[in-house]
Amino acid sequence: MADEGETGRMLTVENLSIGFRTDEGRIDPVQGVSFSVDRGRTLGLVGESGSGKSISTKALMQLLPGTAILGEETRMRYRAKDGREVAVETLGRTGEEIRRLRGGEIGMIFQEPMASFSPVYTIGNQMMEAIRLHRGMRRREAREFAIEMLDKVGISNPRGRVDQYAHEMSGGMRQRAMIALTLSAGPQLLIADEPTTALDVTIQAQVLELMRGLQDDLGMGMIFITHDLGVIAQIADEVAVMYLGTIVERGPTREVIRNPQHPYTIGLLEAIPSLDTLTARLSPVPGDIPSPHARPRGCPFHPRCSKAIAGVCDTRAPVETRAEEGRAVRCWLYDEAGRSAA
Amino acid sequence: MSGETLIEVRNLEVRFPIVTKTLFRTRTVDLRAVDDVSFDIKRGETVGLVGESGSGKTTIGRAILRAIDPTGGEVIYHTATGDLDLAHASEAELQKIRPNLQMAFREGGVALHALAGEALRLFRPRMSLVFQDPYSSLNPRMTVRDIIAEPLVASGLMTKRDEIDARVREIAGRCKLNLEHLRRFPHAFSGGQRQRICIARALVSRPDFVVCDESVSALDVSIQAEIVNLLKDLQEEMGVAFLFIAHDLSVVAQMSHRVAVLYVGKFVEYAPTEKLFFTPRHPYTHALLSAIPQADPDAAFEPIRLTGEIPNPLAAPSGCRFHTRCPFAKERCSAEAPAWREVAEEHFVACHFAEEFDFSRRRG
Repeated sequence: MADEGETGRMLTVENLSIGFRTDEGRIDPVQGVSFSVDRGRTLGLVGESGSGKSISTKALMQLLPGTAILGEETRMRYRAKDGREVAVETLGRTGEEIRRLRGGEIGMIFQEPMASFSPVYTIGNQMMEAIRLHRGMRRREAREFAIEMLDKVGISNPRGRVDQYAHEMSGGMRQRAMIALTLSAGPQLLIADEPTTALDVTIQAQVLELMRGLQDDLGMGMIFITHDLGVIAQIADEVAVMYLGTIVERGPTREVIRNPQHPYTIGLLEAIPSLDTLTARLSPVPGDIPSPHARPRGCPFHPRCSKAIAGVCDTRAPVETRAEEGRAVRCWLYDEAGRSAA
Repeated sequence: MSGETLIEVRNLEVRFPIVTKTLFRTRTVDLRAVDDVSFDIKRGETVGLVGESGSGKTTIGRAILRAIDPTGGEVIYHTATGDLDLAHASEAELQKIRPNLQMAFREGGVALHALAGEALRLFRPRMSLVFQDPYSSLNPRMTVRDIIAEPLVASGLMTKRDEIDARVREIAGRCKLNLEHLRRFPHAFSGGQRQRICIARALVSRPDFVVCDESVSALDVSIQAEIVNLLKDLQEEMGVAFLFIAHDLSVVAQMSHRVAVLYVGKFVEYAPTEKLFFTPRHPYTHALLSAIPQADPDAAFEPIRLTGEIPNPLAAPSGCRFHTRCPFAKERCSAEAPAWREVAEEHFVACHFAEEFDFSRRRG
């Protein structure tokens, strides 16, 4: 599906499907998701709650819970630092190989740093553990390296801070420390799962700027998960819009936001309150997000879509059609060449 | 908006004593969560309250509602007739509250901060609150009908079952809830629907004033827009005034007629929405506005660099509280607290140099 052979491609995910067995029957929160990440580029995953954006990236590190079932056609190819290609879907949840991948190759930052740090070890202690494991440094070396990393993410007085506990820091500083911890293992792919959602806007701006700068310095690839299209517009090169476990539209961020094609993307962009039009009434997307147990047949968005075609959208799921370079949309309104069929 | 003042907040102050005990002595430090805040809310108006975490937004809302007792200042509630509506109070109740009422009446308004006991209880249905998280603010063991009816029952405003039912159905209809669903339990509803239930519960006693504390922050964007529109419609229909607390400035801009910006327990700016968002006067307001990423790839995103973090309110900086992070701070700022003054019509700012700044934004 994706263009292979392009230089710098580090991750290709094809047909990722994840199911869960629950007491109320099987649910399929992710269905046939494909995306790829290049070195030094940022892929933004946007979607509302239950769209499957977080769980898709957890599959990349084999971090799904035991009740999860990975689809048979799922392919996840990751090019490691030493040039080998790793088939992530074949790795188990334990074992040397996946452990090398977690942290050392693919790093992850979560929304709530307080929940990610251990409350009983100092920040430095937790960083040194990662550094010694992934970089093979000695204790003293690792400590110096940890201080260096804290300095790099803009924490003042890193020599003093390294011996503090997570609860002694403010929210913004904790998230910086989390970034330092993740980067200290030296990953080449960074998965950031709503890293700024819990932060105040002025602190969010600082953290976004920091992440952009670090990416430029280190040439990492990044998957940035958020529900905020404003943040996406500022940080992502490409964007994939998810709705109920499928990518409904993807393309270069600029193009997708300037000229959205899928009715859901259009609706989402119109629903965002703007700072420039204060009196205009907001236009919400009608209806509610269905529960995973009652996933609509056909196109998952059809019950909320104003352009739904009766007899088509409610019975058959649309396939992805490709339009101009790098853009794709999954909607019956667009024909093979991605032109509007309506 | 009729322009008639509903609530006057004067020099409101809320302090929380923080006690630290060591082996030999106990030290008490006051945390000034809200410090000398004054503003007014008109009938049928929405006043937005923005500020970062720990700035005291929630505390102001709760102090007005008397969920927290203010430690200083006044909150005056102007009723339409200058009198408490005690039509539903029994003779015995009236006797009980009379001494308290005399103290409470002042300048044609009710001194909310001084109300106590039975009088406060009778006053409660006039004010209400919508919380942030619609999942934790609904009792899972009550039906939707009982949840919405509870304020009526608890305040004794209504006692007859059919009367209550009629009111619940009316308000549920206004909040666009399916009347068939009134017998269900909250778990059957999505986040957006739950928030409608919360709004119906807040409005069932026909209050004049509702505090919306981050009421749309936990919702998805596509749902959020619907709730914002619903609140606006209900305000138009019922003439209720909102204190709309949120950290998201763009939502506040959509909802509010006037907006106040809070920083570490103090107001830094208060102005009609249009003025505040397009011609802000305080450097902090300007920085906040510049820090919001817009969903427009061509809009320049150059947030004003605010160095450091939000100060700890236990050790608030001297002078202007913003001086430690302000890119324009001068010597005077750390020495002398700026006065709260009106720089243009209805435009209040607390900054020594407000007149010197031009932070005007281009309209898109």
